[in-house]
Amino acid sequence: MRSKCDKIERLLSDYIDGTLSERQTADVALHLRSCGYCKREVVDLKKTNHLLENFYVEPEASDAYYARFTTRLQHRIEQSAPTALYQRLSAVALRLGWHLRTRLHRRIDHSRFGGFLSIRQHAFPYYIFGLTLAMLVVAPLLLNQVSPHDDGGSRLGRLYAAAKIRFFSGDSPASVQPTAALAIKQDTETGTQPADLRRNVSSGRTTETLVVDSGSDVWLFTDEPMTEGYIFTALQENDSDTVPSVALDIDSELLAYAELPAQGTFWARLTSRDVLTESRYALLLLQGMDAGQHGLQQYERKWSGFKDFSQKLLDVPLEILSIPEVYDSSEL
Amino acid sequence: MERTEALLIADLCEGDETALAPLVERYKRMVYRLAMQITKNHADADDVMQETFIKVYRSIRTFRKDAAFETWLYRITVNEALNFVKRRERQRESTLETASEADYEASTRYRAQIANDPHAHAEKAELRHHVTEAVNSLTLKHRTVVILHEFEGLTHAEIASILNCSEGTVRSRLHYARKKLRTLLQSYVDASQV
Repeated sequence: MRSKCDKIERLLSDYIDGTLSERQTADVALHLRSCGYCKREVVDLKKTNHLLENFYVEPEASDAYYARFTTRLQHRIEQSAPTALYQRLSAVALRLGWHLRTRLHRRIDHSRFGGFLSIRQHAFPYYIFGLTLAMLVVAPLLLNQVSPHDDGGSRLGRLYAAAKIRFFSGDSPASVQPTAALAIKQDTETGTQPADLRRNVSSGRTTETLVVDSGSDVWLFTDEPMTEGYIFTALQENDSDTVPSVALDIDSELLAYAELPAQGTFWARLTSRDVLTESRYALLLLQGMDAGQHGLQQYERKWSGFKDFSQKLLDVPLEILSIPEVYDSSEL
Repeated sequence: MERTEALLIADLCEGDETALAPLVERYKRMVYRLAMQITKNHADADDVMQETFIKVYRSIRTFRKDAAFETWLYRITVNEALNFVKRRERQRESTLETASEADYEASTRYRAQIANDPHAHAEKAELRHHVTEAVNSLTLKHRTVVILHEFEGLTHAEIASILNCSEGTVRSRLHYARKKLRTLLQSYVDASQV
């Protein structure tokens, strides 16, 4: 009998709580009818529970304590926050943003469409993803739009290319060898050392791309990528739309100007801005100012959409014209 | 309009610090009560309370949305309090009981009730004192289970989840705790007419 009581006694606590299975409850109830000891045990446990429920005093602090606690907690969280000024400012901005967002959401909750928009709570990561995607798509477009009117050579880097290309008349074509050189100088505003580069069209691979036909009156400018810039030296027949024909009337010199972005920048790579386009170069006749004036007028008519570039062309610093091997300043 | 608990939690998850204050406001009494009952010391309960809410603030992203926030908060509070008691017992074993029990009484409603109720029956006041002391005298494990089950109303399964033990362990501890309480309060049990 005692072993039975021991077994039942372990169930009494659950029996009082009503958490036993039906079968266990029935077993305990049956045992209690015949066992005075266990029955008294149940009564005592119930009385104990009654005492706990009615006379146990739960700890409680004053309202003043809770107020102090909240302040201290807030202070501690702020202390554990980032301490650098920009981090604090961004934290404040974030907090303000959340405040505004919360107010907006509350308004939406009150609106008729609140139910449909409640999904926002789960869509926050998609907001961020969508915003990032939009930035990636829009930013390059904006940059391309801004760039032609941006005189920010110091930001993007500016390259001036001076090309001297001398052509001769068709009297003695066999003896004529084209001489052309290109000097590229990086804008000193960028703070970088000028990088002079000269290439002679009669040597190296440039020779292959430059076809000189002394009888031709048509120029086509193409871009040949180089490490630090571009050369616009190529000749092609029957394309009068590309260059003032007056340039070919005489033994001419051309000054070419190009604006290029700083090589290797992220945005340049992303937006392919390191590819020279028509909108980013200009030409000016230098030798024979009479013809040059005429050429300039033609040039301006033709490239009226790119007046900014023609202005820049006129502002090409004189230093680039003083490369002794290529130019003789006195001739200019 | 007051934000719902689910919205507060979602906002806190997304970095909105302002969502913490309403949660603290809602649960501060529960956390303090639990911390105080386990630590039996106001200063420790205060520390536990701070650590608990700091942990909520920092770990809210680990909270599973399908779980009950209150149970999660119970788990943090109980574990913080138990760790605190264990640390404290290691550090200041000798002076613990005297200081903590006096502190407990000083910060409970118990003293205030007696002070504010001059007509309260002396016997009832004494009974309150003895019942409260009986609970406080239980071992840490038994006391924790009794508090969570009898006073916080949690189920065996919830307590098992909070204490990271089996339901059987919870039932066993509760059983022995009740027996111990019955023994401690035997004279009142015998006199009780219930």
